[in-house]
Amino acid sequence: MSESWRLIDMRVEDAPTQMAIDEAIAYARVKEGNPNTVRLYRWKPSAVSVGYFQSLEKEVDLEACRRMGVDLIRRITGGGAVYHDYNGEITYSLVAPDDDKRIPRDILESYRVICGAIVTGLGGIGVDCEFKPVNDIVAGGRKISGNAQTRRHGVVLQHGTILVDSDIRTMFKVLRVSEAKISDKLIKAVEDRVTNIRRYLGRDISFDEVRQALISGFEGTFYVSLIPGKLTDYEEGLVEEYKKRYSSWEWVNKR
Amino acid sequence: MARAEYKVPGGKLLAAESEAKGGKLLSVKLTGDFFMHPEYAIEELEEELKGIPLAKMGETIQGFFDSSDVQLIGASPSDITHVVKLSLGS
Repeated sequence: MSESWRLIDMRVEDAPTQMAIDEAIAYARVKEGNPNTVRLYRWKPSAVSVGYFQSLEKEVDLEACRRMGVDLIRRITGGGAVYHDYNGEITYSLVAPDDDKRIPRDILESYRVICGAIVTGLGGIGVDCEFKPVNDIVAGGRKISGNAQTRRHGVVLQHGTILVDSDIRTMFKVLRVSEAKISDKLIKAVEDRVTNIRRYLGRDISFDEVRQALISGFEGTFYVSLIPGKLTDYEEGLVEEYKKRYSSWEWVNKR
Repeated sequence: MARAEYKVPGGKLLAAESEAKGGKLLSVKLTGDFFMHPEYAIEELEEELKGIPLAKMGETIQGFFDSSDVQLIGASPSDITHVVKLSLGS
């Protein structure tokens, strides 16, 4: 029988809560001896998350966010800004010990392996995509998923965005894209660099279909069964504590 | 405070906001969509760069990574030196 990992399935929460849950699972993993955990989740209200090192005001149109009711959060992981559209995006996270044999010690290689679960899963519903180093997944040359990882408390935490039916227009209203980045890619229209599953497949697709595909992708890649579970009391306590930090302007506007 | 951005070819975006006077780096803030493990090392690097002679910037940045387990992904120590120099107009 294959090993069981915990699945925290499609919990809908606000931005501070979602980021606090990922961090709580990472912190508690070794301390409590919890199973490895995969989460699939959606953000309500929709939010922009910026990477740990990003300048909030350079990456995000704060006025546009305010106007459209889009929340703001800073992640503990590096990487780029993401628009988490409640109506069109699924975020996943994976927490496993950093000495788990299935996950390479080498960070770049571990992106390839963990993103491989997403590539396999999406492949199952007809999205022919591939891992593009450092941390992207592309379909037809366009980004369909961005991923970010941190290592702390003896674990790997990787989370990433899956663009299901994200409103790409709104995405580029709330995100600012630097000139340096555009010129390097030699593409004028930034909207052309990104796609979503619905656009790629040219048909309507439900969250549940994508959810099932992602679950199969993780199960097949890591030879495990994902068993639906919930957070421990200890983790829930940490979430309440961490939420306060994530909600503070001092944290969100840290850089 | 002067700012510059640099997209590392095949890597990530790096930006620097810095201030120099009398041949010394007074302060620098590094931002972008790169990765550094552990993340808090960025504050330590910025602190270490305060007040160093500009001529020593490259070796100080390189030395910071050589003498620690800090991993930089999507950019190299010399990319950081490059973007700080760009922000100072040199």
